[in-house]
Amino acid sequence: MEQSSYSNLATTHLLGSVPAVLNEEKKASYEVPGANMQIFPPSNGGGGYQTLGAPTEVFEQQPPNNWKGVFSISSYTQYFNVDTDVVINRLISSFYPIGGDFFSKIDANPDLYGLIWITTTLVFVLASFGNCATYLTQKHSDSSTSWSFDVSYVNVAACGVYGYAVVVPMAFYFLLRYLGSNASLIRFWCMWGYSLSIFIPTALILLIPVEILRWIIILIAGTASACFVALNLRSYIEGNDLPMMVVASFLLQMALAIFIKVWFFP
Amino acid sequence: MSNSHSDTIPLHASSQSDIDEIENLIHASVQSGPATVHPARPPSPPRASIPVSSSPFIQSNIPPPSSLSSSSSNQKVPSVPAAPPPPPPVGNSSSIVATGFGPPPNTLTEPVWDTVKRDLSRIVSNLKLVVFPNPYREDPGKALRDWDLWGPFFFIVFLGLTLSWSASVKKSEVFAVAFALLAAGAVILTLNVLLLGGHIIFFQSLSLLGYCLFPLDIGALICMLKDNVIVKVIVVCVTLAWSSWAAYPFMSSAVNPRRKALALYPVFLMYVSVGFLIIAID
Repeated sequence: MEQSSYSNLATTHLLGSVPAVLNEEKKASYEVPGANMQIFPPSNGGGGYQTLGAPTEVFEQQPPNNWKGVFSISSYTQYFNVDTDVVINRLISSFYPIGGDFFSKIDANPDLYGLIWITTTLVFVLASFGNCATYLTQKHSDSSTSWSFDVSYVNVAACGVYGYAVVVPMAFYFLLRYLGSNASLIRFWCMWGYSLSIFIPTALILLIPVEILRWIIILIAGTASACFVALNLRSYIEGNDLPMMVVASFLLQMALAIFIKVWFFP
Repeated sequence: MSNSHSDTIPLHASSQSDIDEIENLIHASVQSGPATVHPARPPSPPRASIPVSSSPFIQSNIPPPSSLSSSSSNQKVPSVPAAPPPPPPVGNSSSIVATGFGPPPNTLTEPVWDTVKRDLSRIVSNLKLVVFPNPYREDPGKALRDWDLWGPFFFIVFLGLTLSWSASVKKSEVFAVAFALLAAGAVILTLNVLLLGGHIIFFQSLSLLGYCLFPLDIGALICMLKDNVIVKVIVVCVTLAWSSWAAYPFMSSAVNPRRKALALYPVFLMYVSVGFLIIAID
């Protein structure tokens, strides 16, 4: 069956269409009237193609295949295709724990910019404000201490934050795949990355050297972040009954919050 | 054939005068101008133009009459022991310039101080272009056309050393953190711009980010010498602003204007973290 005859169809101007494999020598003849090819909705062409069988790619939720190899920058630019206002919009929406619609917001265009730079900012903020907070706490209890900068805070912050932000979404992704449901690693990374953004202003507030206040603040922030993660995860995997995953994600985020408090702001 | 001798390059006392001969040739050729490039000498195969190598320079067929004796290892040069007359521009007309490299082939024979001086002057001129307030500042996209990585290397190492000296404990860890932060940071910032769809040349950007560290170097030096917190904060703020001002036009012109803030924020973050390190190291 000549699948390559579909190469004659004039569909490449349509959004979302993926050109079929071109086969030069067969170029001649067969011109499908193709009326139904022209009219399907351009934004999501999955339905239209299926009437012709599967020679052309079904347009699934993964982006079209721009992968030019691991070492080529252009294969990663598709994950950074965001403008300033888009990033700010996503950042602000991550502060509202109750929304539950983050995945639909990022569905068409998930980005890794947020993940990378929010985690990096958090590492810096934890290392610097952690040192300040430690100093203030010691000064509070024993007013003769002098400032000392502990550079190991940078190492611990880097390992902790980067490790969490990279490993936890991967674990959830593999787990969900194993259990059969559909998951997208990039979207998970994106969501978890933005969920960490609430800890940045929190770290600023945690400078106040009153112990009770610190615990209250971190619990509030941790709960907000964990709710954000859990609710979004639940809305993403709806249809599959996996409450344990949702609860696990909540608990992991809370654990991160408590670790931040205990290590950096004692 | 002269080649047979030319595999070994004996370092006689004659070498020095041979080198002088080469210098003379070079000066003569430079004076005679590039017009005499490429007289198309068939017998000479194309070769790498290392002046003191044994590769047959063009003149191997036309050794100036006095040269014949032995060590034609300095081919263009009639070997000295025969007390040659200083070779007239016979040798020059195609010798050096024809290699296509122009003046640079003599970098192997020049004194080390000349090499160092050349690199230093390049560093200084790049600094003046990039960092110092300059009302005739060029279009930043073309700034640092003549990029090099020595300058950034010196500045990063100097900053790491200064921070390490200032620290009272964990000195080596401080150096490691500072160096890693700056080096990896420059690479990551460049990659960030490339990933956002911007157009920059990788090494040019590394070079520029390294040069923009110069104000922070000065700040770190001042903070090391003067240990007052208020002074440190002020000095670091000023030098931080200066560094950011230097880096801003280059980075912002490299990306789509709608993504300018996305490209600039990481630069700002890196300089702020370095500034914090400078203040905080006690």
